[in-house]
Amino acid sequence: MSGRLVYVGQIDMFPEIFETRPVRIWIDNGLDWMVKYWGDWFEAGAYPLLVMLLAIQNFLLSVPWWLIIIALGGLAYVATKRWILPIVVVVALLLVGVMELWEDAIKTMALMIAATITTIAFALPMGIAMSRSVILRRLVTPILDLMQTLPSFVYLIPVVMIFGPGKVPALIATIIYAAPPLIRLTDLGIRLVDTEIMEAAQAFGATKRQKLIGVQIPLALPTILAGINQTTMMALSMVVIASMIGAGGLGYQVLQGIGRLEVSRGLFAGLGIVALAIIFDRITQAFGKRLQERIGLSDKNS
Amino acid sequence: MTLRTTNWPVRIAGMIGIASTMVLASIGTAQAATDDSLCGTDKLIDIAEMSWPSAAALANIHAIILEKGYGCNVELVAGDTNPTLATLLAKGTPAIAPELWVGSVQDAWDKGIEDGVVAVAGLAISDGAVEGWWIPSYVAEANPGLKRVEDLPEYAQLFADPEEPAKGRFYSCPPGWGCEIANAALFDAYELEDSFNLFSPGSGGNLDASIARAFVREEPIVFYYWGPTSLMGKYDMVELEMPEYDPVIWKCNMDAECGPNGKSSFASPPVIVGTAAWIKNEAPVVNNYLSNISLNNVQISQLLDWGAENKADAEATAKYFLKTQQDVWTLWVPENVAAAVIASL
Repeated sequence: MSGRLVYVGQIDMFPEIFETRPVRIWIDNGLDWMVKYWGDWFEAGAYPLLVMLLAIQNFLLSVPWWLIIIALGGLAYVATKRWILPIVVVVALLLVGVMELWEDAIKTMALMIAATITTIAFALPMGIAMSRSVILRRLVTPILDLMQTLPSFVYLIPVVMIFGPGKVPALIATIIYAAPPLIRLTDLGIRLVDTEIMEAAQAFGATKRQKLIGVQIPLALPTILAGINQTTMMALSMVVIASMIGAGGLGYQVLQGIGRLEVSRGLFAGLGIVALAIIFDRITQAFGKRLQERIGLSDKNS
Repeated sequence: MTLRTTNWPVRIAGMIGIASTMVLASIGTAQAATDDSLCGTDKLIDIAEMSWPSAAALANIHAIILEKGYGCNVELVAGDTNPTLATLLAKGTPAIAPELWVGSVQDAWDKGIEDGVVAVAGLAISDGAVEGWWIPSYVAEANPGLKRVEDLPEYAQLFADPEEPAKGRFYSCPPGWGCEIANAALFDAYELEDSFNLFSPGSGGNLDASIARAFVREEPIVFYYWGPTSLMGKYDMVELEMPEYDPVIWKCNMDAECGPNGKSSFASPPVIVGTAAWIKNEAPVVNNYLSNISLNNVQISQLLDWGAENKADAEATAKYFLKTQQDVWTLWVPENVAAAVIASL
């Protein structure tokens, strides 16, 4: 029965058309070269992101815990004008505090907020541009597919090599993952604005710019808000993976729980992430709903 | 990978192991070896190919020599420290674990030896594993005053943390590895909190990437690392001095609940070739071979570096070793075996 060792070689395998090893060496050396000579530029370019993230984090950490709970509870009340959601929010946050995860939760929240802000800053213009140009849409859509399906582990390490370890690569990896839905939904929302409304705007002599700012964007807002909601949720789902490259926060607790086989630690941190997800999901959804009602697109009025 | 603290599942597996080996033993005797080949047994010898590169390369080297040289019936199976040890203790399979870091699983391993289910064939790494705090050699040359861990606070600015530039950044271990606890204890014992941040890289990949980035850009970095690894073979690094290894202090440092923490070098745990007990009893030729195969840190690190540079998998790395290092491995085997292996390459 000898010969078992080479079990792969003896089966008829896909023929080697050309040697790929030089290509791989070339890619790896290329990355090294980029890190060596352009690393400073990338780091400097991403510096504002770090400043923003640290500012958000330090601000949230300097605010007393009860004020954050009151603020988020109040936000929930403003969004729903009912008492159910605020109570859920307060209980979830108290639970996070009781589980001794407050600081980690704040760090995770800061990462999520920073990722969402950055995403909005470039995803909105991108979505608008895509809605106005078929060519751009055809070019960008496959890139968005790639961003959503390429396993994040593939780009985690190159991002670390390029931007330096710490919070910045974690933020960038989160943005790569969380941006596509907002870009897609912005594009979709604007394109789905009723053609009759657009014709009416045209009849009033609105310019292209006026049509965009005065008609299309306001009517697309509920869809865009759904996109922002998706972005926050996807950013939260990245926290564990982001912790693998030094983001810290709740994801780090999960990793530690896995590494030490402390199921309880992983479970607590996992529940903390769920609590944050519920809070931000419900609040953004409630705002979206109220907005729809105001514009008159909700089911009640239609 | 190195010093994981998860001992209890292994212990449970060990207890299950005693029961199941009693059953297995009665079956095992029925298949006495009647092979007249060099190998001395026709039983399947399964070798654990561990998930990290040095162990995978070693597994492939021994698989080729045992199969092509001795004519054994060999199979490679995937493994990792805890799962492989668990099945080794419970079922006597895989038969050979070519690079077992017993330091991290000492209790379970000792129990297995006591129960007679496992055996030590020899040392896998002759000079033991290396673990410690390191700086690149270009940093050491530029800063001759930085030799010991005690010197670090003075040089905090050199290793400034981009997220908190007033302090230095020390790259510790990924979460869940035993060295994470040890590093935190040393960090505390050396009172580095005021001048340094204990940065957790979150994963082994991130630690590697951070170190590689610093070396590529010739930047200062101070980090925990271990060997033999391809990174250690690739980059020139200097270990920061710590007081000699003290088992009492170390035991406390490895226990997060124990205090106060003390200063002590990392233990240099023996890295052994572990086998199921039947190898010793039923395959003396194989056991004899395994007792003889240790390599040192430098040899393994350089081999791994070649593998990483050339994108070679474990099997290709093993073949490269067998082709180029014949003055090393031919000493392990009789001449006819060496000739058969060389002929197969």
